[in-house]
Amino acid sequence: MRGEPTDLRSAIAGPEPVLALPVHPGMSAGAPDAGHGQVAHGTTVIAVKCIDGVINVGDRRATASYSVMYDQAEKVLALDDFTLLAISGSYARSIEVVRYLRHAFRYFERSQLQPMSLDGKLSEVARAVAAGLPMAMQGLGGFIPILSTWDPAAGEPRIFFYDAMGARFESAEYGAAGSGSVQIRGAFEYVVRTKSPFRRMPRADALREALRLLDIAADLDAATGGWAKVLPLARVITADGIQDVGEAELRSAVAGLGQGEATFVADRG
Amino acid sequence: MMLSPYDFNEAINQRRDHAEEGLRQGSPVAGLSLDLGVLLITVRRTQRKVYEVYDRMMLSAVGNQSDIEAVRIGAVDVAHREGYQRSPDDVTAQRLVGFSLSPVLKELFRDQWRAPAVVRAVFAEMGQLPADDAFFTLNYDGEFVRSSRCAAVAGTPEAEALMAEELAAVPSDASLGDAVRAGLLAWAGAWQAVTSDPGGRGQAPGAPAGSADAVGTLAEQLKDGRVEVGLLDRASRRESRFRRLGEEELTDVVAPLRRGSGE
Repeated sequence: MRGEPTDLRSAIAGPEPVLALPVHPGMSAGAPDAGHGQVAHGTTVIAVKCIDGVINVGDRRATASYSVMYDQAEKVLALDDFTLLAISGSYARSIEVVRYLRHAFRYFERSQLQPMSLDGKLSEVARAVAAGLPMAMQGLGGFIPILSTWDPAAGEPRIFFYDAMGARFESAEYGAAGSGSVQIRGAFEYVVRTKSPFRRMPRADALREALRLLDIAADLDAATGGWAKVLPLARVITADGIQDVGEAELRSAVAGLGQGEATFVADRG
Repeated sequence: MMLSPYDFNEAINQRRDHAEEGLRQGSPVAGLSLDLGVLLITVRRTQRKVYEVYDRMMLSAVGNQSDIEAVRIGAVDVAHREGYQRSPDDVTAQRLVGFSLSPVLKELFRDQWRAPAVVRAVFAEMGQLPADDAFFTLNYDGEFVRSSRCAAVAGTPEAEALMAEELAAVPSDASLGDAVRAGLLAWAGAWQAVTSDPGGRGQAPGAPAGSADAVGTLAEQLKDGRVEVGLLDRASRRESRFRRLGEEELTDVVAPLRRGSGE
């Protein structure tokens, strides 16, 4: 008999795996010159809950070292109808992983005839984060995401964040990732303690607070873009699914932040 | 062992009979390409019958459940590997059926040491424009046929021809309800043709759509059958255009048909 698969499925699909988590080549080629690598990293992405769901905002800047490579990057990406991944770290790696996850979730649902569970999805993301760790260690850039989703079983939004090794944590109020997230960490707590928990804020308020935090991050982190040229990206997940925050709503939210005129500081020398 | 040409023909015909026998009792499937999207319409008993293959592609079939499952999951495998490695735009029914499925089924059918797959499948694909919609019906022997406006899969060629004729008369601007109703009546006509001709050799006439016969047959079959419809929604903004409609969503259409009312 021939050495061919005896079952029809393998005869059709062949021996190669259907989906394999991408691993970049040259990972063991020694540490690259971190100053001149072609890797984009810095960013700030933010997820906050609100009364009817969860809002994600992200700046649009993609950097490589000290260069701004792109000012229209989309860092809040849909994995399925109810799940957003806000990405930080290597842009190339992030985009590839998001493509992988989208296919992995759909492939599971179509082949198994049932959607992947939330826990299953969170584990897939954790694996993708952990697989990027060797690259991150070499300065090639791993990626760290925040996952926001609507949990139909619980009837409420949920936010999960990860560390560089793929450990998963759930947050009751907010999540932030990227180089600018460190600087604004305390500001989240300040908002929650002095104003209101994000999860009790109306959508307009939560959007405004998230944009203000993004604006502070852009002020304090060189790799996070403001919105002088391009408006930030904002998306919302509710029980009805994912919606983009439209241009009009975004413009009025940004205008409502009341950034005054620039200060003139005289030369006292 | 030497095979003479006679033996070869004999063997092929026996395998063909075996497969046709297995397909005959399968519940037919009607396919329609309309302005609103692409539909696969059928009546099922216990197993579900319409499946999503990829973002803009779905599948239904008659035959052995295990063979349908193998073809389905093989197709899903190939589509996702291609869609991930290249692009979703490169996943087309023409490539999937022509290069991945047909050669394998043909080889299996002609391999004397293995049982042929008992399956007749219809792949429905929604293009960017209604004119680009395509149906591929794929047979157990690897033969496949492309059509654009409508498609029919049933237990006998006569039933399929009858069904295709009725489906071709559905206007492309039909509403979802009208289209499902027309598809179900065509289904009933095909089912009559199959069951009134148990040998599968005769020329049993089916009932024209809307006749008391088709309506009665449908009402009878819906006693222990359930309507299942797969929709590739042209208006949807999701990447995955597939939606499976159960009877809950089609009550306005199905309830009168269950009562045996033609209107």
